[in-house]
Amino acid sequence: MRVLSTVRFTLLRLMRNYIVLLLLLAVPIALLTVFSVILSGMVDEAGRPYFDQTALTMVLAFQLFGGSTVMSYLNEDLFARNRERMTVAPFNRTLYAFSILLAGSAFSFLLGAAIMAYTRLVLGLVWANWGWTLYLIALMAVLSSIVCVIFVCGVKSFSTAERLSEVYGVGFVLLAGLFFPMPQHAVFEFMGSYGNPLTLSVGAVRAVEIGNWNEAWFQANIVLAAIGFLFPVMLVMGRRRLR
Amino acid sequence: MTLASMQSVLKRYGSCAALDYIDLEIHEGEIVGLLGPNGAGKTTLIQALTGILPVDQGRISLFGDSRNPFSDANKQKLGLVTQEIAVFEELTAKEGLEFFAGIYGLRREEKKKRVAEALEFVGLSAYANKVPHKFSGGMKRRLNIACALTHRPRLLIMDEPTVGIDPQSRNHILESVQKLREQGTTILYTTHCMEEVQEIASRVVILDQGQVVKEGTVQQLIETVRHEETIIFDVADPLGIPLRQVESIAGVSQVSVSGSRITVISAAGAGNLDRILSVVQQHSGVLGIQADKPNLEDVFLTLTGKQLRDREGSR
Amino acid sequence: MTIFYFTLKRSFANLANLIFLTAAPIACIFLPAGEGWPPLAYGYAYFGIVILFVAIRLAQIMMEDRVKGILKRLSVAPVRYFSYLGQHLLAYAVILILQSAVVVLGGWIAGQELHRPWALFALYVSFSFAALAMALAWISVFRSKDAAFLFYMSLIVLAALLGGIILPLEIFPDLLRRIAVILPTFWFAEGLKSIASAQPFADNVRINATLCLYALVFLVLGSTRRMQ
Repeated sequence: MRVLSTVRFTLLRLMRNYIVLLLLLAVPIALLTVFSVILSGMVDEAGRPYFDQTALTMVLAFQLFGGSTVMSYLNEDLFARNRERMTVAPFNRTLYAFSILLAGSAFSFLLGAAIMAYTRLVLGLVWANWGWTLYLIALMAVLSSIVCVIFVCGVKSFSTAERLSEVYGVGFVLLAGLFFPMPQHAVFEFMGSYGNPLTLSVGAVRAVEIGNWNEAWFQANIVLAAIGFLFPVMLVMGRRRLR
Repeated sequence: MTLASMQSVLKRYGSCAALDYIDLEIHEGEIVGLLGPNGAGKTTLIQALTGILPVDQGRISLFGDSRNPFSDANKQKLGLVTQEIAVFEELTAKEGLEFFAGIYGLRREEKKKRVAEALEFVGLSAYANKVPHKFSGGMKRRLNIACALTHRPRLLIMDEPTVGIDPQSRNHILESVQKLREQGTTILYTTHCMEEVQEIASRVVILDQGQVVKEGTVQQLIETVRHEETIIFDVADPLGIPLRQVESIAGVSQVSVSGSRITVISAAGAGNLDRILSVVQQHSGVLGIQADKPNLEDVFLTLTGKQLRDREGSR
Repeated sequence: MTIFYFTLKRSFANLANLIFLTAAPIACIFLPAGEGWPPLAYGYAYFGIVILFVAIRLAQIMMEDRVKGILKRLSVAPVRYFSYLGQHLLAYAVILILQSAVVVLGGWIAGQELHRPWALFALYVSFSFAALAMALAWISVFRSKDAAFLFYMSLIVLAALLGGIILPLEIFPDLLRRIAVILPTFWFAEGLKSIASAQPFADNVRINATLCLYALVFLVLGSTRRMQ
């Protein structure tokens, strides 16, 4: 109950964090708007608008960075500035950390949904399956938060954890081949396909667009399995750090 | 009643003992001033006493409970004002206090009431709905104190709560501390400022190199170092004073002349003032007399030495 | 030159900076070439984005001086503000020039198709000056280091996109192409195209001069506000 009373304030803090709003909402909206102008009327070999693909990739790619807020709040409240006060308070810190993870993931998901809504309402993009895309956004948001919690609990220096989270986000974007083609090598090919949450999520949504639900579930379940695998890792590392 | 105690507590950082088998008791209704040079172990002591830092040896007891001193029930009665200002920049002052009231289990009406009281207490009611981002240093310090008050702790631990603030805010904080004591709160107060301790503490503990070097009331501590007193005479004819004769008075250790001023250092309590004065008056008119008594700062410097205490990463 | 020396030292003191300043240019050397676009290998186009990031990251040191009050202390020392500014900018320019040299020399050794390495080096240097001046102008209007960096980072991505570093300008609608001309990133992308398509030397000079003009304008904007 005590932890529950803090959730409202965590959400308020997230909503008032203008830097988060800038990076995870304003920037993608600005980029999507520019892309929509640049790519308007352009279609690929299959006749699908290029912008659809770009918008989908961007909405999901920005989820890779959603965990950084969870990481920063955990650090501030439990390992840095507020640590002493939180330690002497009679409440469950592990549960509090978990509430930050949930609130942060939910917030990142909401921002993703808001960007989707913007592309639909303002840019006129037709999403093939809203529910499924939102499910993938949720998976990406949770995965990113878990990874970031592992980083912040696994290393002593917060700036190192921040750099690692950037490597996680930028790394998977690069490995997905969005900026330049990756070398023809088994490792890069794996990290650009089934070893990459971004590629998997994009693949799962595209599979649904062509009605291939088996492939869609397969790819989404790999992301889910990654969450399932990393969750206990996060718990162990989190408990060790909070001890 | 003893609210908190430490018995033979040892805390080491590598080969350095930050707390060296320390013994300390805090009794109900006291304001204990904890003094010590940088790196003396004050913050380590506070962290050990509040359960933030596990100790290597020794026994800590809170509210009479030494088996599980940091239980939620005991934490509920404990308040900590951190040295670093720990307030949420994105939340208004009121919301920040509601957050802390919430984690101490206060509900709805009670929470609202306590938050309003805490804001009133630190003089920030008018800023309840403002975010601390634009507060002055003093306002942030006061808000930092309020965060530890909403649950009305029985024992409040304040770690240098007046660092870097203006005299008005400092005065407000000191008055608040005294008010809290009148309301029945026991306080452990650490600071570098001797005047603050002299003003508010009912008992002073001086810590150095992880050990309690002295404790007692301000008066008791002053008495322990009052071996000498300095008497300064402003005279009309300083050259006419027979310095040898003054020096020969039992208990006088040093006599010096500077301009029209004669400074005599004599053993404390020797009752020499009258004797010296009669000698001086025989040879010159006396324009003024000044007896320099030791204060808490003299006690502190006598006990901990005057050399600089630079220590890397002092805690 | 004390300030210059310590600025260099401070630029490399932080591990993240050290990695960023050394690893990013080296990584650029080894990025593959695209099919038809970009005009040079990807790394040689993206190095422009690296330059923009490095410039703001380095300029943050001056911002730190302002926020921490070091600049105030210096203002009562016998050091003129323009000497402080000049030595800082010189140190940052040296770092960026060295990075540019590493990228060009590295590419030449690694066998990348650079067409005219000297012209490429000159383009990077001119763009570095423009990037530094822009970073200086940017930090002079901000009080928070983090906010300045994050806002700028967002702008860099947009400017790189609109300037034609990330996507070819040829696919842009006419209006966006016209707007792109006002961005320094456009001139950088133009410079790469000019080098790759073996345009006359005068064309390179024109592009470098334009970038230097940007550097001058932003330098004036950034240095007139004394950052105190």
